[in-house]
Amino acid sequence: MRVTVFDYGAGNLHSLVKALSMPGVEIAVEPDPVRATDTDVLVLPGVGAFGAAAARLAPGRSAMREALAAGLPCLGICLGMQLLFDGSDEGSGAGLGVIPGTVRRLAGERVPQIGWNTLEDRCDPLLAASALDVAYYANGYVCRPNDLGVVRAWSTHEHERFPAMVRAGKVVGVQFHPEKSSQRGVAFARAFLEEARS
Amino acid sequence: MLTRRLIVCLDVKGGRVVKGVQFESLRDVGDPVALATRYEAEGADEVVFLDISASAEERATLLDVARRTAERLFVPLTIGGGIRTADDVARALRAGADKVSLNTAAVERPEVLNEAADRFGAQCVVASIDAKRDGARWRVYTRGGRDRTDLDAVAWARECVRRGAGEILLTSIDRDGARTGYDLELTSAVAAAVSVPVVASGGAGSATHVRDVLRHGGADAALVAGILHDGETTVRDIKALLADDGIPVRKTA
Repeated sequence: MRVTVFDYGAGNLHSLVKALSMPGVEIAVEPDPVRATDTDVLVLPGVGAFGAAAARLAPGRSAMREALAAGLPCLGICLGMQLLFDGSDEGSGAGLGVIPGTVRRLAGERVPQIGWNTLEDRCDPLLAASALDVAYYANGYVCRPNDLGVVRAWSTHEHERFPAMVRAGKVVGVQFHPEKSSQRGVAFARAFLEEARS
Repeated sequence: MLTRRLIVCLDVKGGRVVKGVQFESLRDVGDPVALATRYEAEGADEVVFLDISASAEERATLLDVARRTAERLFVPLTIGGGIRTADDVARALRAGADKVSLNTAAVERPEVLNEAADRFGAQCVVASIDAKRDGARWRVYTRGGRDRTDLDAVAWARECVRRGAGEILLTSIDRDGARTGYDLELTSAVAAAVSVPVVASGGAGSATHVRDVLRHGGADAALVAGILHDGETTVRDIKALLADDGIPVRKTA
């Protein structure tokens, strides 16, 4: 199974690539958004700012959008999750728009949120399979889907609840970093790959 | 709910983990990659590599150590020590660090904090402050505690955050290696002054000390080093005590 990490210049992909490494998986890191869709599984990593990432995505936006609509399994992490939405308050440019909604700044006092946060109201087989109940976050913005039915887990920052995980079919977005959430986070990423393979 | 973090710090010199007492008399305690992954397995929430090398030759090995560590460590890794410029930050992040801490370089040229935060985001910029009690206040020292500055620690912490630091790593020079407990007054004063997480460092002698700084010192996270390397206590025991005390922590199986 070919797994492609779309590299939009976000930097450190070491831990992510290692977390996705498992028998039978061939991992490629691809800076070109069109070529990135020629794969069995697409991963959108999560470091950087929305505007810069949307600009890198722009030339391949429609190709990627069509590929996801056609059933390409995709895991978006942190900023990568936010790119699944229409747009963001953080910067200009269009996201993929595969999950209707937008991205807003956290309202709390201590922003960015840095640290381990609990996952509440978990209702996704990937969370059950990995037993992931506390995950690592480093984010100042969160996703606000139009349809709350896509939310598979929540977290709370100060007094504000926000989606920790969303899903639309084979497209999964997580606001946390599975690759930084220790063994259970790694188990989550690998459960996603297992699901994509089956 | 955000949990309180237990962060393990490894002082690295020439590619090995060492531990000093009040910034002096170093002892070799092991291989950084092996220690980092062991502490993750025990439940450490983050790992910090602090490069205390004296020379550029020794320092060059740290990025290689970071690279090897990032391939095996699945909790956040912070690298500090000898980071001077935004380009140094870029190199550390590319090597596998999630955050980079700046200390002396930020005091000498505070703009480096803005530059790093603008390029890579506040979430990866840690301002590391070494403070020593001076009357009713705390004075900032640089170069591993050797050079005295004119800066007040609380005011300096505030400026670091204003310039883009997403976290403050606050070390009490008086308590470092002394194992008499964290300086709760120092961490309280800084935590009250800034809107970002404060990591308390220097003075941990027991799990109780960790609990005290999280419960009474305003710290979001506590840094521990020597007591773990010596086997005085373990990450597991510290977290068990915190959980028993009702402090939210990430539990590991």
